[in-house]
Amino acid sequence: MSEQPAISARGLSKEYGTERGLFELDLEVQRGEVFGFLGPNGAGKSTTMRLLLDLIKPTAGSARVLGLDTMADSVEIRRRVGFLPGDLAMYPKLTGRAVLDYLADLRGGVEARVRDSLAERFDADLDRPIRELSTGNRQKLGLIQAFMHEPELLILDEPIAGLDPLVQRSFHALLGEVSAQGRTVFLSSHTLSEVERVTHRVAILRRGRLVVVDSLENLRRVAIQRMEIEFAGPVGVEEFRALPGVTAASAHGTTLAIAFAGSADAVVKTAAAHEVLAIHPREDDLEEIFLRYYASEGER
Amino acid sequence: MSWSTTRIALRLRSAGTASAGAGLIAVMIVVGALFPAVGHSIGRLHVSTSVSNLLGGADYGTITGWFRSEIAIFYGPLVIGGLAIVAAAATTAGEEEDGILALVLAHPIRRSRLVAAKAVAVAGVVSATALAVWVGLVAGVAVGGGGITLAHITALSVQLAFFGLATGASAIAIGAGTGRRSLATGVAAAIGILGWLINSLAPLVGGISWLRYLAPYYYYAGHDPLARGADVPGLLVLGALALVLTAIAMAAIERRDLRG
Repeated sequence: MSEQPAISARGLSKEYGTERGLFELDLEVQRGEVFGFLGPNGAGKSTTMRLLLDLIKPTAGSARVLGLDTMADSVEIRRRVGFLPGDLAMYPKLTGRAVLDYLADLRGGVEARVRDSLAERFDADLDRPIRELSTGNRQKLGLIQAFMHEPELLILDEPIAGLDPLVQRSFHALLGEVSAQGRTVFLSSHTLSEVERVTHRVAILRRGRLVVVDSLENLRRVAIQRMEIEFAGPVGVEEFRALPGVTAASAHGTTLAIAFAGSADAVVKTAAAHEVLAIHPREDDLEEIFLRYYASEGER
Repeated sequence: MSWSTTRIALRLRSAGTASAGAGLIAVMIVVGALFPAVGHSIGRLHVSTSVSNLLGGADYGTITGWFRSEIAIFYGPLVIGGLAIVAAAATTAGEEEDGILALVLAHPIRRSRLVAAKAVAVAGVVSATALAVWVGLVAGVAVGGGGITLAHITALSVQLAFFGLATGASAIAIGAGTGRRSLATGVAAAIGILGWLINSLAPLVGGISWLRYLAPYYYYAGHDPLARGADVPGLLVLGALALVLTAIAMAAIERRDLRG
């Protein structure tokens, strides 16, 4: 049982009409992974998550969660999964505590100790009516209810939406702990920067179709790299522009800013022909490659 | 069954139900207080049969006729039916449209069990309202000088409760089957109002008088519980209708996609 993937989908489809929905998704998420499910709004991320929890029925294909069929065994799946919906809504007249009590009762097996420690960790206000809470504070309640039964698998739809940077940091730390315990996290986002610090692998979805599934390491390998090189004196930009893989180069005084794909070997060796004072590598521009996957064929 | 779901649904409806119940009691006491002064002076209205039927006989000269026309024929079923419909539509389709069901149904509970728990909550709202009707009638009749037995007051309240259950169940069935609050509210309200019209007017037209047997309202008021006591066959029909509609709701919500 435990060797079966946390999530596996085969030809999973949900068609809402022309170009809307999810089309023939083949995907495997291994146990213990923190898996980022990325794509722009309307790409099919939420649809996939709703299919996995049997909130909606597939028009074709099938999926298994923790080795169980999403339709035949949906109640057992939901017992073992924590879910944060993208459009989180709760009873506005009730306090956070009342809602969490209800959801804990519905689920069973929730330890008050775990719930309280999550509330403390996220500094959640449990005693005010939901309608008086900000989006971020409501999101904290959503996260608490998803984590409070210590599920084997967490399915989180846009979990960082509305969270302030401090809470984001707590959330990322929590994901690290969950992953270290061998539990699985499947989380969606529409921006890579939100998930790149915490995910092992990502899938990119565009218009309901899977574009790529890979590790961040591999994505970085083909990503555009950027660096700034400080020289002792002026250098010619043209000799750098002519190098294989270079996509952009510009000089500001004696500093060269350069962007290139693939190996840095040619750039470094060409720079070494001059007196180099300092090299400043800039963050790999994963966002750029991410956006390239997002763009439609015609826009590339 | 999920009693926690029932408790939450009841908690969310408690303030509205309590204020409606208090309003019902107050109205019935006022109606009772008006009878000695107004009822006797109006007496039996001499109006066309159709209008008389719509007014529950239009006999304002007796305390039974007074309460039948003022409360039992329209106001009582309107309030209890309205509360049942609002509660049923809000707790099923309303929560679905608001996105709350997507969170709740991500927990290990069958949709059908959730709907059953919500139906019990609607039954709770209806029962509390019917109890308020009973209290209001007892007080109102006493203020009006008496003249209706406790058994007949109880019969009307029970008959009304079963009408509320059937009306609420129709809203639950439509709400659970479609996930659309406005449709659940509109269709269930239309069934209730049409039932009153058909029950009152169909007997006047020979060819369609049988139509009244299709209206849930007939099984509430057709036997005149305030004057003649409980109508057990009517209660059985309304109870069975409520159960069948709830079963349809439980089956329908299992088969479809959740909206929102």
